[in-house]
Amino acid sequence: MTTKFELQETAEPNLLDEMFDYSRPPRIQFDGPLVEQIDGKQVCFDPAEALQRDLVVTDTTFRDGQQARPPYTVEQQVKLFDMMAKLGGPNGVIRQTEFFLYTANDRKALDDCRALGHKFPEVTSWIRADKGDFRLVKEAEVKETGMLTPSSDYHIFYKLKKDRRKAFDDYIEVIDAAWEAGIRPRVHLEDVTRADFDGFVMPYVSELKRRSEQVPADMHVKIRLCDTMGFGVSTPGVKLPRSIPKMIHRMTHDIGIPSDCLEWHGHNDFHKVHINGASAWLYGCNAVNTTLFGFGERTGNPPLEGALIEYIALHGDLCGIDTRMIQELADYMASIGVDIAHNYPFVGRDFNTTRAGIHAGGLRADERIYNIFDTTELFGRPPRVSITDKSGVDGVALWVNNFLGLEGDQKLSKIKVHKVARWVMDQYEVHSRMSAITDEELEEQVKEHLSDLYAARIKKAS
Amino acid sequence: MDRDDVKARVYKVIANVLKIDTGQIEESHSFSADLGAESVQSVELMAGFEEEFDIEMDEDEALGVQDVGGAIDFIGKHLD
Repeated sequence: MTTKFELQETAEPNLLDEMFDYSRPPRIQFDGPLVEQIDGKQVCFDPAEALQRDLVVTDTTFRDGQQARPPYTVEQQVKLFDMMAKLGGPNGVIRQTEFFLYTANDRKALDDCRALGHKFPEVTSWIRADKGDFRLVKEAEVKETGMLTPSSDYHIFYKLKKDRRKAFDDYIEVIDAAWEAGIRPRVHLEDVTRADFDGFVMPYVSELKRRSEQVPADMHVKIRLCDTMGFGVSTPGVKLPRSIPKMIHRMTHDIGIPSDCLEWHGHNDFHKVHINGASAWLYGCNAVNTTLFGFGERTGNPPLEGALIEYIALHGDLCGIDTRMIQELADYMASIGVDIAHNYPFVGRDFNTTRAGIHAGGLRADERIYNIFDTTELFGRPPRVSITDKSGVDGVALWVNNFLGLEGDQKLSKIKVHKVARWVMDQYEVHSRMSAITDEELEEQVKEHLSDLYAARIKKAS
Repeated sequence: MDRDDVKARVYKVIANVLKIDTGQIEESHSFSADLGAESVQSVELMAGFEEEFDIEMDEDEALGVQDVGGAIDFIGKHLD
């Protein structure tokens, strides 16, 4: 039997303001816990508890991010680091970033970034699980280093050519050496989403936990869960080792690794990279490891800027994050030859650009209809329209009003821009054009058909 | 200006914008369904009326007028 639902008439629209406050990325609100079945028991993950924890974003733009592209110059790394510090804000939402230490340029970049004097992001390093590499960490005076310790049999048997006992003992030996050198180890469980949990991961991490208890709290081992091939799945009900909730729960509850010592590192091979990272926060990892614009090995890592928007959406507050730096970082990346796809969220050329006339009509009536949030205020990117034969007069009017900077009652009606609209349609109907109209072409039309307003705009701009 | 004068000038604008003869136009004709006005032409018609009668029309109200007779009456009210 189905329920009959009655239409609720209302004089005022219900815009769901509490969730869709236009001045912020829309809030992610929960009306209950996340529920997972683990070992036959129902386990609840409380989002409110997650938001009480010190959730952070960590960065690996200069490590994993550089594995996917030609190296950044030292100057580029310093510039990016400086901008990242401003982006993350004084609360250190971007808490750490990691550097290679192997070349002179790697070490200079680290030194120059640290010399900027920013409290956040803290500088950490990344080395192979090789005792000889500690010399580099010590010389760089870095307090924490990540160490690669592959955890799946694919890696242990076929890459390292070892058996589990040999790998286990070698890893422990290197981690002990880190402690002896006064360096906090951050153990990267490479390929953990393809590992034998009961046969290797749990005994290994249990041993790390046991040894951590012998050292001061600020030296306790950190565990980075590395979804090296992007196999992780955040959906409840999925089996280990692909299950993110089960994996984290086993770490926090079966071994007792605290959330502030757990970090998620994902890859995007199956388009799950962002949601997996965001889910890891809710299931018990305090840190999500990211890169600027998701650049990383193969398909990339969780995009740092996406994680920050998720962070704001979860907390309902900017938390000190300077969102305008996201666009500045994208502009800087473009200036050094890094391509960002036009449809890439938040910064791509077309992320808030519409081509459809009906959407343009909506934008013209009220930009909230077809814009995700106040991108003008948060990103310095007003919603735009790209003019084609599908844009209609609505699209042309929106473009012209945006170009002329006209607001409220000053806005030109569709009737006033009809000559520009006619020129646009003729390009397609008369001249069989196949490409979008450029901004420069439209500007010329405004100059010709709305000359007084064009002159006023130029005067104002100068 | 009486209604016949308005009608004659409205027909002239329609013929000019839609590239048809005034003899093909009837008051009952819908701009889009009968006379074939496309989106841009609907706006051009309104712009033509504004220019012909030296008036400013509200966009939503003007574009809400669907047929020739309605346009004649709408403009007549503006001129009153």
